Amino acid sequence: MPLPAKVLPGFSASLFMQPGATPTVLTNAALATVATVSALCITGNAVLVEAVPAFGQDDAVANFTVAGSRQSDKIPTQSAPTSLTITAAWNPSDTVLVQIRSDAYSGLIDRTYIVQATDGTGTIYYAFNARASQWQIDAQPGAEAKAVFTLHPRSGQYGWSNSA
Amino acid sequence: MAQNNPDTYGKAIQAQLQSIVTPVPVYASFNRNFAIEPKFITWNLRNVHQPVFTGQNQNNKGIDRPTFQISIFTQLIEDGFTISNTILQSLHGYSGLFGGATYGFWIAKADVFWLYNSYNNEQKLAEIFLDCTLDIPT
Repeated sequence: MPLPAKVLPGFSASLFMQPGATPTVLTNAALATVATVSALCITGNAVLVEAVPAFGQDDAVANFTVAGSRQSDKIPTQSAPTSLTITAAWNPSDTVLVQIRSDAYSGLIDRTYIVQATDGTGTIYYAFNARASQWQIDAQPGAEAKAVFTLHPRSGQYGWSNSA
Repeated sequence: MAQNNPDTYGKAIQAQLQSIVTPVPVYASFNRNFAIEPKFITWNLRNVHQPVFTGQNQNNKGIDRPTFQISIFTQLIEDGFTISNTILQSLHGYSGLFGGATYGFWIAKADVFWLYNSYNNEQKLAEIFLDCTLDIPT
């Protein structure tokens, strides 16, 4: 299965997570290894989110004045991996959501999460280790109740892989 | 969260409306053969839709919020207004079992919107139209 070579619709992206109350997160090498990452992408590990938010890397820059130059210089610095604020339809019995709720209550549980995008043939994975926080239930009438939470990736602990 | 069955919705709407307005007859959709009756009600279901969410899992969807239109036909205009009030008092804001024991399911809320009244000169029938939207947990 090759790396997708086309523009992907947002509806092709799914979110998965490691199961278990006290998971052992993947190492940096494993986060970029398709075999270990894709093994976690099974139905029982799926986080049924409404939409996968923007993921990747935040911006961070240092601005330097350069002696003798008319222009200053901007140097990228330690940009953090982007935090993902996620909305999922709230099913109080959903084991995956209950696990994330427990993670948020603890605040100390590191867990591997995986964003999987596919064109039906090829698949690309973005895997990262993160802690959950900001667990909220939005129960406004007129739509389904929503569980909203934020995943804060640990610094430097992410990897890309694909099914090529 | 599989998609709910519209057939179940139809049977539940028929049963619920029947129980509210009895002995006035309730039908699915209008038929000119009914027009000889002094008063009757028809309903039409529409907008059965659960919002779909991201990913490969087909069951990743939101709640269903179908709407059904209730059309009240009466030879006397005032009868129609009286029946529309009966429906409003019974359905608007209702939360609980919808559709009776046989076809019923639990709804979080029913929201009735009294649309407008009119008169059909050809059928010699006064008409009143209401929309009812259901919030159905899935």
